[in-house]
Amino acid sequence: MSSKEDQVALLQGTLDLIVLRALSTMGPLHAYSLATRLEQVSDHPLSLNQGTLYPALVRLEQKGWIKGTWQKTDNNRDAKYYAITKAGELALTKQTERWRKLAGLVDKLLLES
Amino acid sequence: MAAVRRLFLRLAATLNGRRADADLAREIDAHLQLLQDRYRAQGMNAPDARLAARRAFGGVVNAKESQREARAFQWLSSSLIDFKLGARMLVKYPGLTLVSGIGLAVVTAMAAMSFRVGSLFLDPSVPLEEGDRIVSLQYWDPVVNDAEPRVLHDFITWRDTLRSVVDVGAFRQVSRNLIAADTSPETVNVAEITASGFRVARVPPFLGRPILDTDERPGAPSTLVLGYDIWQRRFSADPQIVGKTVQLGSATHTVVGVMPEGFAFPIANSVWVPLRLEPSRYELRKSPQISIFARLAPGATREQAQAELTTVAARTAAASPATHRQLVPQVIPYTYSFSDMEDPSNAMVLHIIQWLVVLLVVVVCVNVASLIYARTAAREDEIAVRTALGAGRGRIVAQLFLEALLLSMVAATAGLALAAAAFRAVAVAVVPLAGRLPFWMDLRLTAGTGAYVMALTVLAAAIVGAVPALKATGRGVQNRLQGLSRGGGTAMRLGWAWTALIVAQVAFTVALLPPALFHAWSFLQSGLVEPPHVAREFMTAQLVTERLGGSDQNPASDPEFMSRYKIRHGELMRRLLAEPGVDRATYMLQVPGEERLVWVEVEGAGRRVPIASQKDGAVRAGTLGHEARYNRVEPGFFDTFGVPVLRGRALNMADTGSNAAAVVVNRSFAQQIGRDTEVIGRHVRYVGRSGDVQAEHVTLERWYDIVGVVGDTPVTPPALFGNVRPRIYHAAAPGEIYPVTIAAHVSGGVPGDFAPRLRAAAASVDPTLQLRNVLTIDEVLSQETLMARLIAAAIGLLTVSVIALSAAGIYALMSFTVARRRREIGIHTALGARPHRILTRVLSRAFRQIAVGAALGLTVAVILEQVTGGELMNGRGAMVLPLVALLMMAVGLGAALGPALQGLRIDPAEALRDE
Repeated sequence: MSSKEDQVALLQGTLDLIVLRALSTMGPLHAYSLATRLEQVSDHPLSLNQGTLYPALVRLEQKGWIKGTWQKTDNNRDAKYYAITKAGELALTKQTERWRKLAGLVDKLLLES
Repeated sequence: MAAVRRLFLRLAATLNGRRADADLAREIDAHLQLLQDRYRAQGMNAPDARLAARRAFGGVVNAKESQREARAFQWLSSSLIDFKLGARMLVKYPGLTLVSGIGLAVVTAMAAMSFRVGSLFLDPSVPLEEGDRIVSLQYWDPVVNDAEPRVLHDFITWRDTLRSVVDVGAFRQVSRNLIAADTSPETVNVAEITASGFRVARVPPFLGRPILDTDERPGAPSTLVLGYDIWQRRFSADPQIVGKTVQLGSATHTVVGVMPEGFAFPIANSVWVPLRLEPSRYELRKSPQISIFARLAPGATREQAQAELTTVAARTAAASPATHRQLVPQVIPYTYSFSDMEDPSNAMVLHIIQWLVVLLVVVVCVNVASLIYARTAAREDEIAVRTALGAGRGRIVAQLFLEALLLSMVAATAGLALAAAAFRAVAVAVVPLAGRLPFWMDLRLTAGTGAYVMALTVLAAAIVGAVPALKATGRGVQNRLQGLSRGGGTAMRLGWAWTALIVAQVAFTVALLPPALFHAWSFLQSGLVEPPHVAREFMTAQLVTERLGGSDQNPASDPEFMSRYKIRHGELMRRLLAEPGVDRATYMLQVPGEERLVWVEVEGAGRRVPIASQKDGAVRAGTLGHEARYNRVEPGFFDTFGVPVLRGRALNMADTGSNAAAVVVNRSFAQQIGRDTEVIGRHVRYVGRSGDVQAEHVTLERWYDIVGVVGDTPVTPPALFGNVRPRIYHAAAPGEIYPVTIAAHVSGGVPGDFAPRLRAAAASVDPTLQLRNVLTIDEVLSQETLMARLIAAAIGLLTVSVIALSAAGIYALMSFTVARRRREIGIHTALGARPHRILTRVLSRAFRQIAVGAALGLTVAVILEQVTGGELMNGRGAMVLPLVALLMMAVGLGAALGPALQGLRIDPAEALRDE
């Protein structure tokens, strides 16, 4: 596999992890509020188009980790709310652990060199 | 589980693409609305808020596209498109679709049938509970290369000692008359079987009980178990049947049970009685013939059973070396001992046949591939444009493969339907002739057959679609694009391989067509002829009688048996003539039209009649002798069948007996073999293969005297049975033929109730007297006719489809090669060449290729004709072969002519501009 592909896979995995984490801590959210949340936690608010979120949502829904239902927002607009499923929680725990290990490894490597 | 769920969701999304798209559009709209709301709240006006929202969201189309990609199986949705394109292609080229579809369908049908028939023999599974654990135990005698069935003593030893198999049992089949009160007797296939047979089969009786071990003891009451069909038919499904008595041949039995529907173990049996054979009455290897079966003990394997049997047999061989030294004990799958599959060479023949059929599939596929290749070449522009638009090579190959897959799938479906229909026809035509099939033989297509055909379908699609596609996309697509900008002409090159293909096509067709059509024709001739009306007025039956003592010696050489048989035969003839409506009756060896083939040589007074007369086709080179049909008849036979004596005299009683020399021949014999010269007073003898056919009736090389010439039998249509009409008759007295066939003439047609009356008459003479094949001559001949039609249809269909494919292949390749030179032709015209000279040039090249192919095919055909001694085309090859060669030339030249004329019509200026 080329290094470019690795990078993409890593980024994708990261986005999925972030979405799962947000849904797990904040409860059901629609894509807009998820995007807003991402803007809040990231340092560069406009580095990510909000539309970029959609492939990740589809991916996660197909894996059965999240589930979307149409509901009304506070200001009475239709929106699709995504909630994390049991399988999603389980996956989040595993992915988080994996991420921590990976991040720790990278940290260690960076410190050594 | 999760993986399955994901797969399912994606599949659903692929198939529900539009709904998912609409859902996403709605979601994105809502998202944009929320963003707008935020910007409005921050104080922007509506248009600015909308713009800002769009900016923040990014490319809507991109989001949709990436979502779609993540959602669906891209390859699947593109495959669906390819299938649609493929279907459109099939419709767009109907001729190509039809020719290649029929070819593939016929060859698929053949493959399905050969696979199914092969697995009926090779697949040892038996439709009984744990049927694959039922085995046959037998001795193989390598000296005669066959199983040794006289193994009663060994059966007792094996039953008492073997531990790796349980319920060791034995049976033998006999046919007996079943006689019940108020009904006419019926000959049934009885299994004399040990009680263990019912334990091995593990099928409980429908009524009453099966045969028990106690029934086998000497002196125990005679018991009998009935099959479901016979209970329904002969006993009107009498629920009180158990305990009643029925007569089976000369013995009376008490019915103890009825087996459920479909039960026919051990082979195709409908009545079961206990096997009571006492080994003490027989010497070793002189006992009646039996078959031994058993079930593998729980946990035991066939290899373990084989090892144990080998040990036991080694002890027997040591004790009785004279009889058992060379015998090889075998534990084989149950069905193998009845289908002769224990002999590896038989199994190998079946495998070879299957592989040959696969080879035929490949040949047909290559033919179809050449057709498709020519079409692919015509679609070069499309392929080039698609490549330019970014389609990868794999994508285009996949498209062409899927198109071919669609074609082969449609063809395979038709082929399976054809195979199923053929099996049904065979079941209708053959089963009444051969009797019931063994219970494990089910002539229906199974899931296994389906899977096999699926695999072949993919193989066919790979050859038909992918190979031409790989070639078409391989190289020069760039050149093609450049060519496209200039227009006209085709860039695909047909190299020497394709020239070779044309030559091979023509050769194959020329070599194959004549013998195949010739054979189909001779079968068709038999199949087309309806038996004459008078055939309905003759009822025939073969007379067999029960043989006591279980001796296996030939009955005709047992004088005591034959004298008993003679008395019964004579008595039955008297009763037959006493039946109302019967005005004449006679007997013979074989029903007219069913006589066996012999080879004869006629000699005059010290002068041999020249054998070689290739012209009339009666003589086959290399077989030495003329084909004729042989019969032994009562002297009154000719009167009964209304056969006129044309010259000389008829046969009489003085001509009977083994020393008699007088024979009578029919008109066809006199004309074809006697070559229209007087045959009376000449001698005739049997030569060549005659001895194989009729070992007990024919004395080879002995001279017989022709004393008369009779007309042809009115009951047999003249064109029936491969045109072999010469017949030769010997006289036979009662008691000289076993088994004899009797015939009775009933004016105005045989009434429907005649067969039961005949059976009753036979039973009143002797309950053990069995009538087989109780049929009118019309019925006998109709069955033969149906078989002939089936065979003719099979050969004809296969030949026609292969030939049509071949011709279409030649046509496609020829027109393709000429189409390639269209521009060249145009330029030549522009430069002032005369049209007819150009035409001659183009056609002469096509002609050369076809001529080489035809010459090659003719050579192969002539060699085959020589090797088979003229059997392939019955000596008519000299006439048929050139015709076929001419036909192929016409097809090829016709194919070349069209594109060549097109080339001539091209505007010369346009042709030059292209350059």
